[in-house]
Amino acid sequence: MSDEETKPDVQSGGSGAVAPDDETPSWMERKTRSTGLSRLTYEYFERARREDQDLRTESDYVERDVLGFPTWPHEVIRNLAITMFFSGVILLIAATVPPHLGAPANPSKTPEVILPDWYLYWSFGLLKLNPLNPGLEILGGDKIISDQLYGVLANVVVVSAVAVVPFLNKGSARRPVEQPFWAAIGVGGFVFSITIAAIAVQNLIPLSLALQLNLAFVLPIVSGIITYAVLKTMREGYMYDLNRRYYRLRPPK
Amino acid sequence: MSLEKKDEFDHNAWLKRKDLTPIETTFLMSLIYLDQRLRIVDYLEVLETLYYRVNLQMPKSHTEQYNLDNKFWYWYPLYSLGFFSIVAYIIAAATGALLGFYYTPSTAGDPSMAYNSVVAITTDLNFGFYLRSLHRWSAQFMTAAVFLHMIRVYFTGAYKEPRELNWILGIVLISLTLVFGYTGYLLPWNQLAFWAGQIGVEMALAVPIVGEWGAQLVFGGFTLGEATIVRMYILHVFVLPFVVTALIALHVGIVWMQGIAEPH
Ligand code: HEM
Repeated sequence: MSDEETKPDVQSGGSGAVAPDDETPSWMERKTRSTGLSRLTYEYFERARREDQDLRTESDYVERDVLGFPTWPHEVIRNLAITMFFSGVILLIAATVPPHLGAPANPSKTPEVILPDWYLYWSFGLLKLNPLNPGLEILGGDKIISDQLYGVLANVVVVSAVAVVPFLNKGSARRPVEQPFWAAIGVGGFVFSITIAAIAVQNLIPLSLALQLNLAFVLPIVSGIITYAVLKTMREGYMYDLNRRYYRLRPPK
Repeated sequence: MSLEKKDEFDHNAWLKRKDLTPIETTFLMSLIYLDQRLRIVDYLEVLETLYYRVNLQMPKSHTEQYNLDNKFWYWYPLYSLGFFSIVAYIIAAATGALLGFYYTPSTAGDPSMAYNSVVAITTDLNFGFYLRSLHRWSAQFMTAAVFLHMIRVYFTGAYKEPRELNWILGIVLISLTLVFGYTGYLLPWNQLAFWAGQIGVEMALAVPIVGEWGAQLVFGGFTLGEATIVRMYILHVFVLPFVVTALIALHVGIVWMQGIAEPH
């Protein structure tokens, strides 16, 4: 191969399709040249990086070089052990407690018990809250929304309430003792998920409907209050230990 | 001049010089044979690098790192619930695929073909009853595990600031898990299935504006029948598996990036 075959003007730009070297924008130039959203993105990245750096240098605490648990081996080994056990439990229970297949569907015969699987009882219970659907005096005691729509809305409200939790409760507290209020909300919600599920199977429980409806709302509140009281009482001792450990690990500079 | 290679890459001469046992010779010969054809050394090098990376970076456990005096937080076992949900989901998927081979989504006949096919699975098919039982129970366990997983995330405060997105995704996941259960519940087309479906239609119809449209889309009409069971079947074995699997991957991917929320 002789060098004379390649023309000098093509040589400078490689294949000719690429801009000559001195015209190719450098990384820095691209950054400064770009406009609009990409420019904003670059700027934000710069800022974020600077912010991290500032925080790091100003920090009163020893830098934490682990922000979470290592997945391996910490998490995985424990998960495998526990999961293998419970997979075994699935195999065993499936072998010993086979599912029941009832009578075939019969549209003309309404069965006495209409129930979804247990995990939908809470939702089904919410659908049965029609005794609480308020009537309006102005409309002569008529209900504004149908009982069914009321039940559907109750479901929407419950799910949304769970969804907004991270937007209401922020910060770095992790343990329930650190935030007795939120722990109380959690326990209350958990108890409610059970009491409302009991409403779904109301006809199988020998209590009057009125009493059950009251219990469905009173029990969660009571258990929430108890949780709050217990955690508040425990808090001082707990927080002392937690803080001691925390500051021993990350002593103030 | 001979064409024989006489440089340091003359492996045969090297082998002779080494004075090896037969086992070692066989091993080296096959290694060289394979390497000359498949460049095994390259892959081994990659593996070696990986090995050293992993081991050099092998972190101390949380408790070692921070020299905590109690080595065990009593909530730790609950941190495996997410993983357990995945395993139960996989068991349900595997058994479900097998059940799908024998199930017929049709209301034709009396009792319906769907009901008859479930009866056939449990009585005629080898291990059919166990298969159905496994599918049922793994689904129950998954639902329970997902619910408990949510509770553990709540009480360990793991949903806070950078992890809101995963919490929202989790709510979508638990809802889809419940829909999974509901659509599956309707498939045997027994009394419970039919009347649970009836409630579903009534709920859908109660929703203003989009209710009737929704009922038609999901249940294929306002009375339950052939269209309903086919839709439930497609949702249960086609739509939901893809969507839920993708979302679980995303959910776990985010956990992977963010790390498990650290208790202290
Ligand atoms: C199909 C259902 C689900 C699967 C397969 C799943 C899987 C997982 C896995 C494997 C993890 C890693 C940590 C752990 O195992 O605890 C995780 C973490 C997490 N999950 Fe889920 N999850 C599901 C549903 C949910 C639900 C219903 C929520 C809450 C509403 C949720 C919220 C979270 C959050 C916030 C994390 C991060 C926790 C941390 O960093 O400690 N997930 N999920």
